Amino acid sequence: MLEFKNVSFTYQGGDSQILKDISFSIEDKSFVSIIGASGTGKTTIFRLLNSLERPDSGEITADGKNISEIKGFAGYMPQQDLLFPWRNAWQNVSLPMQVKHMGADERKERAYAMLDKVGLYDCAEKYPRELSGGMRQRVSFARTLCTGADFLLLDEPFSALDSITRIGLQEWLYTQWKALDKTILFITHDVDEAVFLSQKILVLSGRPVDTIHEYKVPLPEARDISMLADSPVEKLKNEIISILRSEAEI
Amino acid sequence: MSAAKKRLWGALFIVILIVLWQVIAMAVNKSYMLPQPIDVLAHIWENRVEIFTVHLPATMQVVGLGLLFSVIAGFVFALLMDCDARIEKAVYPLLTASQTIPTMCIAPVLVLWLGYSVQMRVFVVVLVNFFSVAVNVFDGLKSTNQGMTELMETYGADRWQRFFLLRLPTAMPDFFTALKIAVPWSMVGAAVAEWLGAPAGLGMYSRNCMTELDAAGLLAPLIVLTVIALILNGVLSVIEKKVFSWKA
Repeated sequence: MLEFKNVSFTYQGGDSQILKDISFSIEDKSFVSIIGASGTGKTTIFRLLNSLERPDSGEITADGKNISEIKGFAGYMPQQDLLFPWRNAWQNVSLPMQVKHMGADERKERAYAMLDKVGLYDCAEKYPRELSGGMRQRVSFARTLCTGADFLLLDEPFSALDSITRIGLQEWLYTQWKALDKTILFITHDVDEAVFLSQKILVLSGRPVDTIHEYKVPLPEARDISMLADSPVEKLKNEIISILRSEAEI
Repeated sequence: MSAAKKRLWGALFIVILIVLWQVIAMAVNKSYMLPQPIDVLAHIWENRVEIFTVHLPATMQVVGLGLLFSVIAGFVFALLMDCDARIEKAVYPLLTASQTIPTMCIAPVLVLWLGYSVQMRVFVVVLVNFFSVAVNVFDGLKSTNQGMTELMETYGADRWQRFFLLRLPTAMPDFFTALKIAVPWSMVGAAVAEWLGAPAGLGMYSRNCMTELDAAGLLAPLIVLTVIALILNGVLSVIEKKVFSWKA
């Protein structure tokens, strides 16, 4: 289990605090979304989880161990795909394995297998410029999986895509998560997206963030987009939207 | 417009210039002032053995060595500046200052230090070129995407892995741009150095022709150098297309 325990954080050289004494936990193998108004500190939480930043106070632990002591604790999928343009799809996917000094043949084999898993086996030799936005995000997801981490951090991965592609990828991601047996922490601005994908939603509140509202999503494991119109789901969405509205007015 | 058509227009423009040169030279009718292009070509043909077996190899040796050392020096300076902001602050103004000194002014000083040697001529070429290599590679390294750098950090990449897997490939297009600038400038640098004095070389050949008021002979090596520079840049463009096939 991942736990944030009374974490506070201010960027170095910054004068305003971003997180103030926040605590929450994420169960293993769950899909949890973080939602909040722009600039509240969602990405900061990911930076802390990636050990790109250190908390001023408090502690972040995974199964009781400080995450800064766990090498390769999380696999990070950034907002933009950040594929290296000079590497083709399989070479991009193999990057985390190359960093870990895995042999060339083995990492190529694994990268191809991973691309097969995300339905892009035939695009393995293609460069990022030859792929559509949705395909690039899937390559980026495959690369994240190749980190070998059980905990995946997905930072608004579909925000730059058109709505049809986004819905398709949401359904695809949900299927992937069920098949992969991984824990996913997902940042989004989109309430529908958060509700459709997650078991639990964390809504950030306050500036600095000092409160986290937790909501369990009232949807079954086998779900589809049409269920977002169900009455309990509508009620949850309205509740989250009202919090986000009040946050935007701050 | 297709690439073939663009090339055709380029060739046509060069032909027009040559024809214009021919017409003006015929109108002036003073070959010691403005030789006709046909005279220049005739000079190259008549002296082909001397030009292509003695002087051209001597010049190309200087160009080759000068380019090699320019790339090495440029890379070293770029890496040093990239390593530490204090080095950048100290070295960058000096690099800029080195480019404000005209080659024709500094070259005689180099003759005093190194004599009329190959080293002197190579040094002139390096002095002309290493700045563009250093600045382009340095700018290329600095343009590395911050998000990609952090992504590499999340994979646990160390400094060297970040350099070889991310920063160096990012800087390569800029390096190639520098190389394409450096090739013709190496020719210029080598020719200037040879003008000052050399046992052989197209610059020295051109100077000898000048003292004999042989304008066609003076221009002949310059035409050869221009053609060689165009060919080398063409080869570089082909390599660039192959190396950077991932680009649009």
